[in-house]
Amino acid sequence: MTSTSQAPRTPGATGGAGTAAGKATATGRRRLDLLPYLLVAPVALFIICLALVPAVFTVVQSFFRVSALDPPTRFDGLGNFTRLLRNDAVVSSLVNTGFYVLVGVTLSTLLGVAIAVVLQRPFRGRSLVIAVAILPWALPGVVEGILWSGIFDPSSGLINSLVASLHLGSGDTLLLGQHRLLTIALIELVQVWQITPLSALLILAALQLIPAELYEAAQIDGCSRWSAFWRITLPLARPGIAVAMVQAAIATLNVFDQPYVLNGAADTGASVMMQTYFISFQNLDFGQGYALSLLITLTTLVISFAVVRLVYRKVEL
Amino acid sequence: MRTRTPALRWSGIVLVLLWSLIPVYWAVKTSIQTEADARSSPAQYVPTRPTLDNYRALLTGSGDVPEQIRRASLNIVIECGLATIVTVVLATLAAYAFARMHFRGRNLLFYALLATMAFPAYTTLIPLYRIMSSLGLVNTYTGIVLVYVSGFLPLATWILHNYFASLPVSIEEAGLVDGAHRLQVLWHLLLPLARPGIISTALITFLFAWAQFLFPLVLSSDISTQPLTVVIASLQGRHVVPSTLLNAAGVLAIAVPAALALIFNRYIVNGLLAGSTK
Repeated sequence: MTSTSQAPRTPGATGGAGTAAGKATATGRRRLDLLPYLLVAPVALFIICLALVPAVFTVVQSFFRVSALDPPTRFDGLGNFTRLLRNDAVVSSLVNTGFYVLVGVTLSTLLGVAIAVVLQRPFRGRSLVIAVAILPWALPGVVEGILWSGIFDPSSGLINSLVASLHLGSGDTLLLGQHRLLTIALIELVQVWQITPLSALLILAALQLIPAELYEAAQIDGCSRWSAFWRITLPLARPGIAVAMVQAAIATLNVFDQPYVLNGAADTGASVMMQTYFISFQNLDFGQGYALSLLITLTTLVISFAVVRLVYRKVEL
Repeated sequence: MRTRTPALRWSGIVLVLLWSLIPVYWAVKTSIQTEADARSSPAQYVPTRPTLDNYRALLTGSGDVPEQIRRASLNIVIECGLATIVTVVLATLAAYAFARMHFRGRNLLFYALLATMAFPAYTTLIPLYRIMSSLGLVNTYTGIVLVYVSGFLPLATWILHNYFASLPVSIEEAGLVDGAHRLQVLWHLLLPLARPGIISTALITFLFAWAQFLFPLVLSSDISTQPLTVVIASLQGRHVVPSTLLNAAGVLAIAVPAALALIFNRYIVNGLLAGSTK
């Protein structure tokens, strides 16, 4: 609506793409030019109506009591937030999500650096290896949960089978749902599987910018490959690592698919996003759902900003 | 020292391949086993009596589960296809304007667009559900596609903007001097040059749409619009569906994105890097 309201101000142009097409030639550009507005209008409409307005909704309504079971909607101050913090399931999901973020960001960054270093120099078949390496990124998280439930299965899963075949133990350990930290670490491993390819690509892109002469000079100066990694590769990869860590932090803070599929609603692995879903769409308490979404969003923004401040350094070569 | 590296690097490469492929292999392996073989403990690492019965059951069999899987496959193709087409067309038009035209409010609009990318997608989950619900668009393709498009437009516009901005202005100027209209220039001169960027954007959008779970879970309560991801998760939750059949369904659900990722990996890599470097 907002962008099309410009239309009547231009005399002669009736706003249709057909009429504008006849006039706005290179020479006619001095007049108020409608074409760019027409081109961006659909995107602007989508973003305003289905992103900005809903985002404002989330912020405002988190201070209101909005519940299908307790109408009408009314102002409630910080009521939603205090109710959330008194809810044990929510508090436990906050702790779980903290572990998801910690495990996920650490593992995906370490693995991302490792994979990027492996792929740094050209070799025969590198593009094929990159294609296989990005495969997990392209798959839906839900289905990845199904794939990995076969790995974690207590009797016929890959992990327990290997334990039994190698005579390391009985091979019937219940891996998920029993021990909280183990459950979270294994579920997060599945998400790490999904997000690491993008981390690796981002870090690899930063590594490709490092001139080979730098390594040659270091080698002539008697620098070992190990110290070249610490003194050249890592510092120059910082911008890539920062972006990779931000994407990992956003993904892990909002983790939903993997714990939902692998561990159901159980408190041992439920994430904040899962609690948001249960509170909003099973208890129909939208107010608390809004409040929890707002908390996740703010945390995401703060962590992303902090990572950029701490890790990102513009590299001048 | 140089001679030692290849062995180390090759073992690294093998580890990368194993890490990516083992879970996929395990699901494919389970999907071509009988339920009895799949339950043997310890597992058969290679199926001794491979069978395609599970796929046959899903693709041609009758019954609740196969029919849901087939309907959900149709749904996901329709939803992802429509969302991709709409996103790419709208993003191309806007990206062209943002990259090549000067107009009042351009920077404000562009930064607003980029700012929405910093927010996690689920920020708007509940309000989008309530908007779609009040418009009667729950359980419709329209509702799901509108939500997908709104979610994917910022990244798509950003990637295409960067792509257009990287093309030389001289091409366009030559076209404009020749008296072509700017839309003709876009259509005949820029689009052919921007084709790799458009393919990247379309692939990434399609893959994102294919992976969606929470949004369609909320926006579709019955099989009329539920995509494959939602149906597979609900089958898993029921615990009565045999694991071999579930894995066959899972393999069907990853077949399309896996094929796209393996065949078009160069476009995807370029698009992802164009979308993340700022």
